[in-house]
Amino acid sequence: MDFSSNIAAQLNAGIILPEGIVILTLMVILVGDLIVGRNSARWLPYVAIAGLLTSIVALYFQWDTPDPDAFLGAFSGDNLSIVFRGIIALSTAVTIPMTIRYIQQSGTSLAEFIGIMLTATLGGMFLSGANELVMIFISLEMLSISSYLMTGYMKRDPRSNEAALKYLLIGASSSAIFLYGVSLLYGLSGGETNLNAIAATIPDVTGGQSLGLAIALVFVIAGIAFKISAVPFHQWTPDVYEGSPTPVVAFLSVGSKAAGFALAIRMLVTAFALVSEQWHFIFTALAILSMVLGNVVALAQTSMKRMLAYSSIAQAGFVMIGLIAGTDAGYSSMIFYLLVYLFMNLGAFTCVILFALRTGTDQISEYAGLYHKDPAITLCLSICLLSLGGIPPLAGFFGKIYLFWAGWQAGMYGLVLLGLVTSVVSIYYYIRVVKMMVVKEPQEMSESVKNYPEINWTLPGMRPMQVGLIISVIATSLAGILSNPLFTLTTDSVTSTPILQSAAVVQELPTDQMEISDNF
Amino acid sequence: MENIQIPWLTAMISLPLIAALAIPVIPDKEGKKVRLYALGVGIVDLVLMVYAFWYNYNLETTELQLTETYNWIPQLGVSWSVGVDGLSMPLIILSGLISTLAILASWQVTHRPKLFYFLVLVLYSAQIGVFAAQDLLLFFLMWEIELVPVYLLISIWGGKKRLYAATKFILYTALASIFILVAGLALAFYGGEFTLNLTELSLKEYPLALEVLAYAGFFIAFGVKLPVFPLHTWLPDAHSQASAPISMILAGVLLKMGGYGLIRFNIEMLPHGHIQFAPLLIVLGVVNIVYGALAAFGQTNLKRRLASSSISHMGFVLIGIASFTDLGINGAVLQMVSHGLIAAALFFLSGVVYDRTHTLMMDEMGGIAQEMPKTFAMFTAGAMASLALPGMSGFVAELSIFLGVSTSDVYSQSFRVGIIFLTAVGLIITPIYLLSMLREVFYGQKNPQLKLDGFSVDAKPREIYITAALLVPIIALGLYPKLVTNTYDVKTIEVTTKVREALSVMAEQQGNNLNVNLLSSQQSSAMIAPHIPG
Repeated sequence: MDFSSNIAAQLNAGIILPEGIVILTLMVILVGDLIVGRNSARWLPYVAIAGLLTSIVALYFQWDTPDPDAFLGAFSGDNLSIVFRGIIALSTAVTIPMTIRYIQQSGTSLAEFIGIMLTATLGGMFLSGANELVMIFISLEMLSISSYLMTGYMKRDPRSNEAALKYLLIGASSSAIFLYGVSLLYGLSGGETNLNAIAATIPDVTGGQSLGLAIALVFVIAGIAFKISAVPFHQWTPDVYEGSPTPVVAFLSVGSKAAGFALAIRMLVTAFALVSEQWHFIFTALAILSMVLGNVVALAQTSMKRMLAYSSIAQAGFVMIGLIAGTDAGYSSMIFYLLVYLFMNLGAFTCVILFALRTGTDQISEYAGLYHKDPAITLCLSICLLSLGGIPPLAGFFGKIYLFWAGWQAGMYGLVLLGLVTSVVSIYYYIRVVKMMVVKEPQEMSESVKNYPEINWTLPGMRPMQVGLIISVIATSLAGILSNPLFTLTTDSVTSTPILQSAAVVQELPTDQMEISDNF
Repeated sequence: MENIQIPWLTAMISLPLIAALAIPVIPDKEGKKVRLYALGVGIVDLVLMVYAFWYNYNLETTELQLTETYNWIPQLGVSWSVGVDGLSMPLIILSGLISTLAILASWQVTHRPKLFYFLVLVLYSAQIGVFAAQDLLLFFLMWEIELVPVYLLISIWGGKKRLYAATKFILYTALASIFILVAGLALAFYGGEFTLNLTELSLKEYPLALEVLAYAGFFIAFGVKLPVFPLHTWLPDAHSQASAPISMILAGVLLKMGGYGLIRFNIEMLPHGHIQFAPLLIVLGVVNIVYGALAAFGQTNLKRRLASSSISHMGFVLIGIASFTDLGINGAVLQMVSHGLIAAALFFLSGVVYDRTHTLMMDEMGGIAQEMPKTFAMFTAGAMASLALPGMSGFVAELSIFLGVSTSDVYSQSFRVGIIFLTAVGLIITPIYLLSMLREVFYGQKNPQLKLDGFSVDAKPREIYITAALLVPIIALGLYPKLVTNTYDVKTIEVTTKVREALSVMAEQQGNNLNVNLLSSQQSSAMIAPHIPG
């Protein structure tokens, strides 16, 4: 009796209640589909959304839980992981409304797709809290394999197949590299798998610096950088984004990336605290490359999805500024940016999907003159794109300001300057789309816009899309101006997470280092 | 003193923006109701300004007035902090006046009227916000908000090369504005406590190297807007491609944001940096005047000529700012107000001419005066004001800048003589190109190829009213400049005193350590009494 209660206390399984809810939803969907058949598509997506929202509510009630460690320390339910799990669940909850119509129009089974997407979500949520090497790897694979499946979901579309194959090959090799790095870490720490234990033993075992640790770091970063598609590990992004079903791209660009960043924070801050200078250096290089390459190559794109692919690479570069800053403000600016990025990017993708559903194309030039035919979508897409470009008073502006503010506070003047310059470059390609839609006169309309079908929101699956779009656009417009609660949330989550606090003390820069003249 | 304050400034800033949000739901296809609505909003806001300043603004003090501060994002230290002083108050009224008149001037916009008036009203809010903001990030936000409306206003309702001009405008301004953020954050983070409040920032002491770097950053940002010589190339394109009402706002208000920023940030916050840069400012000012005048001389397009003349006139602002005399700075502010009125009038009249002739090329016009005598008379009056005829506001402004710089004891005799001489060259070219513009457009025989629109050839009452609303203040200021100078006299004197104090400290330091680098002489500043007989 005593033994079992002890085990129960150590397992502390209540921590994964939110994930449990998602698993339950997943089962309901699979079994429901099995029993009811294709007709279930009418209510299944709403079950999924309801499940995800319930999971978010459950996350809310776990805020500031006194004992966050579950499963003997393999999973941590601290506030940082709660925020990230919330972001991932929310991103799926916003993505599902846009899938319904898209998948139905393509004539494939909706329940399977939602099942896979929920599995991916589950993987991402577990990854955000994983605190142990095996757990990390398993949840990472859970996320990755479901992502490959979703990418290739359009079985009859050769581009979707190509994207899936590319993603699978590059993803599998990056997983292998990551696993190799993890195994080095396991060896170096003398057989520990728990991140905290590794952090505690590595300084004793290796006696400070060691080549093995540096190699492990490089391999682990390669795996993480693949997930967040940081340059030079971004090669897959444009092709996969272009080929795969658009809702999948939306999930990959937000949910999957957030999971990657959660993993980055947890692993780098704990296990690699000893080589923090090195990983800061590597991430600075990654951030510089991502911001420059992402923004510059996006200028030349003619396909909307490819442009958003490069834009998402660039956005990852901006987010990395917060990670490199390594201060409380840095981490919370990162989370804040991911939160607003969720809404603005998903809003943009919803508009792209709507346009593609009505015209069947993703070319930027085909958007010409859309304002005359569909002012609502033009407005929504313009707001989302301008927000991605950081134009005030939209949410993206505040997100970027916060990132740059935190970066500047941490003394990274060069990086912030580069971020500012590249974000001006990004304004150019975002506003190019806005210009295409708004400025073109009726006689300059593209063929697809000329043949634009009548706007009909009553088709099956269109209503949820409309609701999702409206929510995204409202959040994008107001999350910046009314950002106070979000700021409080992100700052709280960072300041109440022990691993970040112990790391922040090491990172804290003395104020006299902030002299401009030294660094310019 | 007052316990319950009405949030005048917040109301002024938010009224056009909130009103703009209602435009999409106005049931109106042709734009007739929308324009009345927009005009009404403009007038109400203008009345609100005049009323608020008339009853609540104290002319005697240099303090910020009508201040409001609300916490906005405490984590970032950002607050909604607005206030006016002598520097911003006249400019706010100027932007209210010009924007309202621009709405009235765009009466003929029938192409997508809802979007047009929506953007103009957003722009209206952003302008007032820029002049009223007392928080660095709020200022930056307002500064950036104005980008997209102007971009769209040029690229949809502009001339033939409008897309090129609009893109050039947004890239120049957006790239330059990041310097505001960078320099501002550098100042805000300097020293122990972090602050974004402009007044607190100007009270901080910075090391000289930081001041110089931040000054350079702000100078690039505001220099693009003003514009200053090598950064001006966007202006002729943007101003000539925009439609007449938008050119009115561009030349009348947006350029002044640059000059305002220079005084508010560069001089008030960084007096030591200003001392280092002032000679450069004067030289660039002279280049602006002469180059702008020469460039205007070479333009065959009516609006490009006016745009180049704007560059020339903004050179005076630079010289006035760098003169280290209250007369000079006073003149600079007056020049901003006066040029705002004059440029708006001229751009509007060029729009009136364009509506009839459908061309802006001056060699295709000629002899219009016979059919459009009223327009001719008003255009002449505007051109006379622009060439600084005595009795008009431009004359007073340029004269006091001249007096300021020539009586300034900071610069050597030969420098001053050289400056005055070169500026005078610009002053001689100005009447030549303005008068030749009048000659080409209005005088002589009518060009037989030119067809004037028949609907009503000469200016209509609405157009006469708009011009009069701009010309009356021009003449009033020319005859009795105290009308506007007494709103900011105390403020410019305070600014000058601050700069001169910094100057005297530095002069003594340099005297004491002739061979010592300025950077290292910073430590000795504590020992030196900050006073020198002026």
